[in-house]
Amino acid sequence: MMQETADKKWFDELTLELRLRQVPGDAIGDTVASVRELLADTGQHAEEAFGPARSYAAELELPTAPKHEWVKKALWPAQLGLLAFLLFNQAVVPWVRSEVMLVSPAQAAFLATPLVIVALLPLYLTAAVRRIWVLIALVAICVMSGLLSGIAAPTRRADAWLELSPLPWLVGSAAIMVILSIYNTVRGLGAGDEIVDPRADTPRSTGVLTGVFALISNWLFPIFALAMLGLAVALS
Amino acid sequence: MTVSPLGSSSPEGADWPSDWLRATLGFLALHALSAGPSYGYAIINELERHGFGTIKGGTLYPLLTRYEAAGMVTTEWRAGDGGPGRKYFALTDSGRSEMDRLASDWRRFTALSNFYLDDGQPTKGITT
Repeated sequence: MMQETADKKWFDELTLELRLRQVPGDAIGDTVASVRELLADTGQHAEEAFGPARSYAAELELPTAPKHEWVKKALWPAQLGLLAFLLFNQAVVPWVRSEVMLVSPAQAAFLATPLVIVALLPLYLTAAVRRIWVLIALVAICVMSGLLSGIAAPTRRADAWLELSPLPWLVGSAAIMVILSIYNTVRGLGAGDEIVDPRADTPRSTGVLTGVFALISNWLFPIFALAMLGLAVALS
Repeated sequence: MTVSPLGSSSPEGADWPSDWLRATLGFLALHALSAGPSYGYAIINELERHGFGTIKGGTLYPLLTRYEAAGMVTTEWRAGDGGPGRKYFALTDSGRSEMDRLASDWRRFTALSNFYLDDGQPTKGITT
């Protein structure tokens, strides 16, 4: 039982390491199936036959996608969605109260912090995935900067750096979030990069739960934005 | 003597130095495919049967993967006998040429080494 758990952990780690190396899903499926085939033949356990998963993933030297492809495909859309979501949150309360949107330099700096953290993700993504405390620290910094931006928000016009009409920002940011969600949903319907088991007769179909989860993930910003709008209306 | 860095061990306890196996495993694995397509476990068994020790999967598969990327080997998944299927490796023409070249070089190298170890006594077939 313990060895089964150890093998499962080894396979999870191998898959993660190959994903981090931008190895395509079909090549990962082929690698995993090859390992399973030999383990079934020899009766060995994964670590015993193939060594540490991380080293094995490195030694395979499998073809990888261009290094920065995921940045264009996933990171920049996510960055734009986050920016739109932050702007929506700044504009929604003044709009509900029929006030102008006031912005101070400190508030803008705190708001920019999550954007900078996401933009620099390629520098520390591997560390964040391998060490959970790095990921927790990054999320904590983003949450803290969000809270501090609320505290730093000017309450009087005299303290404001900028005075903006909230409606264009509200509509513009909402439109960006919806367009990005549609783009991500359409992209998800196309050929994905799923891990395919070459031994299976038919391609593994994506489960309903996975599909629903992917759909919700694609529409996360608009869903939260709607919730913020509802909250702002209720509190006003 | 252990050869753990290469991941090979011989049941007879006569393990070869890991450096020797590291140098030769490439063309030995290609030679194991010279009779026809084969799969991982069969290649390991073939090498073990000929006294090279038990090569680990973590050593053999990266080698075969590199050969596949270099066009020396092709792969095909075939349905197994009641099992989930096997990945067969087959030599390409370029792989066969490379195997022949390396085997020829190796024979010359070992003959030269033997000649030297025999204190210069004539050994047949040395051409440097």
